[in-house]
Amino acid sequence: MKVISTKELVKVYQSKLFSKDGITALDNFTFDVEQGEIFGLLGPNGAGKTTLIKILLGIVLKTSGDARVFESEVSNVAYKKKVGYLPENHRFPNYLTGEQVIRYFGKLSGIEGTKVDSKIDTLLEMVKMKEWRNVKIKKYSKGMMQRIGIAQALVNNPELIFLDEPTDGVDPIGRKEIRDLLLNLKSEGKTIFLNSHLLSEVELICDKVAILNKGKLLKTGSVDELTSTGNTFRFFTSELNDKVINYLLTGFKAVLHGNSEFTYNSSNDEDLNKVIDYLRQQNVLIRSFYQEKSSLESMFINLIGQEKEAVN
Amino acid sequence: MIQFAAIVTGIFREAIAKKIFLGFMVISTLIILAFVFIVNLDSVDGMIAMFGASGDTAVKDMVIGFQILVLNFSYLLIITFCLISVSSFIPSMVEKGNIDVLLSKPISRGAIIIGKFTGGVLLIFVSLLYLIGFVWLILSVKTGYWHIPFLYSVFWLTFSFAAIYSLLIFIGLVTQSSVVSMITGFILAFVVTPVLAVRSELFSFISNDAVRFVIDFFYYILPKPGAIADISAKILEGKEVTSYEPLITTALFTIAMLTISISYFRRRDY
Repeated sequence: MKVISTKELVKVYQSKLFSKDGITALDNFTFDVEQGEIFGLLGPNGAGKTTLIKILLGIVLKTSGDARVFESEVSNVAYKKKVGYLPENHRFPNYLTGEQVIRYFGKLSGIEGTKVDSKIDTLLEMVKMKEWRNVKIKKYSKGMMQRIGIAQALVNNPELIFLDEPTDGVDPIGRKEIRDLLLNLKSEGKTIFLNSHLLSEVELICDKVAILNKGKLLKTGSVDELTSTGNTFRFFTSELNDKVINYLLTGFKAVLHGNSEFTYNSSNDEDLNKVIDYLRQQNVLIRSFYQEKSSLESMFINLIGQEKEAVN
Repeated sequence: MIQFAAIVTGIFREAIAKKIFLGFMVISTLIILAFVFIVNLDSVDGMIAMFGASGDTAVKDMVIGFQILVLNFSYLLIITFCLISVSSFIPSMVEKGNIDVLLSKPISRGAIIIGKFTGGVLLIFVSLLYLIGFVWLILSVKTGYWHIPFLYSVFWLTFSFAAIYSLLIFIGLVTQSSVVSMITGFILAFVVTPVLAVRSELFSFISNDAVRFVIDFFYYILPKPGAIADISAKILEGKEVTSYEPLITTALFTIAMLTISISYFRRRDY
């Protein structure tokens, strides 16, 4: 089931009042997010990531095209009962305590006071903020604000959660806890839409990723699909003699990386097994081998670089 | 409905947090205490003894005199304190990072504006009810003269405030500045309305029809809190109110301002 769906979505910000000129933040953006996925949105600054989230939440109004959440037009506020949102650089009323923030936004989500109260303990426990519940949030650190922000985003038990830079300002242990929390939410069948600059983090938890640049969708797919470099396998072996090296270079067109390491590009499993058989026949010890992948970060940098070159 | 109530109660919480509302309540309490100590039964008995048969009338006049004093003071107090207090409600709501979360909740933009308006008006209503209600109670208990029309002042003053607040909502949405909202409110309450209130006198110095038309135009479209306070005082004194036109034009202004504000808010990106 599609939780989010956009078709030829366009957003143009007017640069000046009454001016016809504008800045295109989203340019015919079409994509879908399926239920139960952790979907990562990547792109350089000004790519249109936050604009996309804000259109999906009705905070920014689209210029043209179609944007639907739970098959509902985004202009209809009813779908927001099933949505949670943590914005980047959020500013909750600083005269409230952590507990009051959750209660206030819970009520704004349409939950009755007694029901909100029954959830507060669980939520504070979940984000490890129980001992800070009665402290005014103006005394909170950035990381603590993020945790309370996540708690308010979950107060209505949403089916879809938008998180814009959720680990911003959070220490490494806190990041791990947030990652675990997101994976836990996923296991409950919730859909998570994540916007993060930390690509290593996205790589660790996202099922699917979309890459945006200048309002355009450059690539979308699973993390494995995007980071795969083809069928190149890297082997680590015992020391190879000259005879084996020669055969690997000529017979299998392998690329040597020292006396005990080489890469081999295999188009099918049968060829891969031929290399293994050959090595074993020659009494070469195979210590390990794996299919090579690029990191999401290097893939992202290459893709954005190519895009820049194409424009120039 | 839960969301609407959350917006309304949020206004009370914000006002209390900003202390200015507490300042209003402290001043109101001092006024109430002053009435507790100033008006004592001996002075009332003395007045009746002094004026004989007309003593009752003298007490009534004294009560009405005190009530008009409180009415005029409340008008100044409510405008001053509340403009300072409420002028930041909308600018703080539309601050980046705050408005994002608010608009992501299942409540329409129109309901948010109406909720903020209702919250502000209720806040002032409760504050006035505290001040005027207690002053009325003290005067009534001490003099035995229960002059109900004084309580109506709560509604008249709240109504005046609502008109100015509706303008502040619009200014706050457009400028996103508490200072601009506050200054606009003060100019309207203490400069524009008093000047327009004496337009008949001004016309004796102005012969140009175009200028007269402009003055008339602003007189009819702008709210008239001063004129409403005058109507309230007349009702208090039992005098005849010759025209309710200031009430009608002020109500229309309030409705128009709220409609424009909602329409503007619905079209804005945040």
